[in-house]
Amino acid sequence: MSQESDRPNVARRVMLHGAGVGSALALLGGIRPANAATPAPFPSHPGWKLVFVNHVTTNPFFVPTQYGIQDACALLDCDHQWTGSTNADVAEMVNAMNAAVASKASAIAVPIVDPHAFDAPVQRALDAGIPVFAYNADAPAGSANKRLAYIGQDLYESGYQMGERIASLVDSGLVALFIATPGQLNIQPRLDGAVAAIKKSGKQIDAQQIATGPTVNEELSKIKSFYLGHQDLKGMFAVDAGSTQGVGEVMQEFKLQSKDVHAGGYDLLPRTVQLVHDGHLDFTIDQQAYLQGFYTAIQMFTFLASGGLTGPADTNTGLKFVTKDSVGPYLSTSTRYEGKSDKPLIVERSGPIKS
Amino acid sequence: MRSRLLSGFLRRQEASIFVVALLLIAWFESANHDFLLSSASLQNLSQYIAPVAIIACGEVMLMIGGEIDLSAGMVYAFAPFIMHFAADAGVPMFIALLIGLLAAGCIGLLNGVITLLLSVPSFVTTLGTLFLVNGLTLTISHGTPVTPTASEAFAQVFGAWGYSEILWAIFVVIVLHVVLRHTRWGLHTVASGANDTGAREAGIQVTRLKIGNFVLAAVLAGFTGTLEAFRIGSIDPLAGGNQIMFLAVAAGVIGGTPLAGGSGTIIGALIGAAVLGVLNDGFTLIGINAFTFNIILGAAILAAMLFNIHVTRLARLGDAR
Repeated sequence: MSQESDRPNVARRVMLHGAGVGSALALLGGIRPANAATPAPFPSHPGWKLVFVNHVTTNPFFVPTQYGIQDACALLDCDHQWTGSTNADVAEMVNAMNAAVASKASAIAVPIVDPHAFDAPVQRALDAGIPVFAYNADAPAGSANKRLAYIGQDLYESGYQMGERIASLVDSGLVALFIATPGQLNIQPRLDGAVAAIKKSGKQIDAQQIATGPTVNEELSKIKSFYLGHQDLKGMFAVDAGSTQGVGEVMQEFKLQSKDVHAGGYDLLPRTVQLVHDGHLDFTIDQQAYLQGFYTAIQMFTFLASGGLTGPADTNTGLKFVTKDSVGPYLSTSTRYEGKSDKPLIVERSGPIKS
Repeated sequence: MRSRLLSGFLRRQEASIFVVALLLIAWFESANHDFLLSSASLQNLSQYIAPVAIIACGEVMLMIGGEIDLSAGMVYAFAPFIMHFAADAGVPMFIALLIGLLAAGCIGLLNGVITLLLSVPSFVTTLGTLFLVNGLTLTISHGTPVTPTASEAFAQVFGAWGYSEILWAIFVVIVLHVVLRHTRWGLHTVASGANDTGAREAGIQVTRLKIGNFVLAAVLAGFTGTLEAFRIGSIDPLAGGNQIMFLAVAAGVIGGTPLAGGSGTIIGALIGAAVLGVLNDGFTLIGINAFTFNIILGAAILAAMLFNIHVTRLARLGDAR
């Protein structure tokens, strides 16, 4: 294996300890010129190729993820490939993984959107000496999957937190939970988590799950239909980007916030951000898509550079409830970190930091 | 006398599916009284129907000629982006919209030229352009949605106002119905689908005619995408897609246009789109659970089709007797 011969020696490995994710972030944050004077932290390597398999390669959500990968690769002088399926076809994803193994990729990252389908391909890659990481979606607890680490949001937990938020906003009555494609492993756990939290709250909330479809035009119509048939509902929440935008549009059209209906959901589509700002959505959850790519690439690199001694570690990219109070910067800036622009940018901020 | 009127009505291609649509509406209305009797419900129902109906009109013109356009759903997402970029470059909004439609027309021209002049079956040609246009849209948009920037009045006319889409759909249906039934273009389209060689030997310019229909179908798909972008308030690279294309083809077939060509009806396409819209709207309104939704929707489409086919058959039988 080519990367074996380039495995850094002990002295270099000591340096690597100081050069984890944190300092890489600092590099990105603009300290790069200062570091340029000192010798490069890593010896030259054969241009490692990091392969990212994805279940929805063209989805806007993953645009910042791709920027995160690009930035990390530019920083660390690696190549990368963005491949997989456009419509969550697991067979296509497995093919892409097998192709990556055959082409002797240096490392592979894959969202494990199926509980078993990735067990064998992951094992094959590991047997071939290729480290495999899960990002964005992970194998269920207790799975036989041998991926080295998961980098992304804890999906069930994020849904659970949304459910707690729903229970804090709504006391009783009908609450609609919209999902684009039921059963899909990167969104269904959120719904399950939300339902569990609502149940645990003990409130008399009747949570109904409604499928909305994979495209924004369809989602908006479906959400409107459900509202028109259930005008006594007390809340509308969604677990995917398109449905969240649709919920906000319906809230706005029928002025539901004045009727004490609560709403919220996931992700940062431009319309969604505007709707949070205008008070039609109580919150939207920022999954930190940029970090899902950036951290994964960094972990791949540190694993390769240290010959497997550094990392890998599960990394929760967290969740951020974006509300009317905190939505400002999302509207006033256009950055690679949210995917609205492809230009590199340092975002200026001032004032105290509120979590 | 009355029975003769009735059987005359039922013999019309569109009639039995119209009955299906009415029965469905009556059933949903009795199941949930919010289905029709408010302006908001009617608006929403019309928004299910209109986009499918407009695209279906273009597909029916092609299907009558024995062709199909699989790329329609992708052109739907492509045209509004071209409009957006033109508007961004400072072109007045209306001209920008025309540029978007022109771009859609170019895809249609490409479909037509490859199919007719280079003799590739339209199923294959448009399958190719389906992926090609999808990739093009994703590349020029960087995969991110944008917000359309038109004046309020402009947006209202082109999709944002609740009934604007259905009015556009009815306008397109009337124009194309007249074209199909009462102009040389329409009659030649039917002739070319029924017997291509015969039509050519009779002196019909089949090549020019069909290329024209490919352009028409693509422009209608692009126009629908633009209307929908203003309705949703966002131009999304993943909007439309194969789902809406299949719905449009299905609307044509349900309305009485066979996939094989040679006959067909524009009014039927509108009614077919209405049946699909009523089913989608009605079941969501009732609150069918996410997991069972497609089972019920699929079964309902099959039942509607069976009813449609057999009522037509029975009407013909009764007639023969």
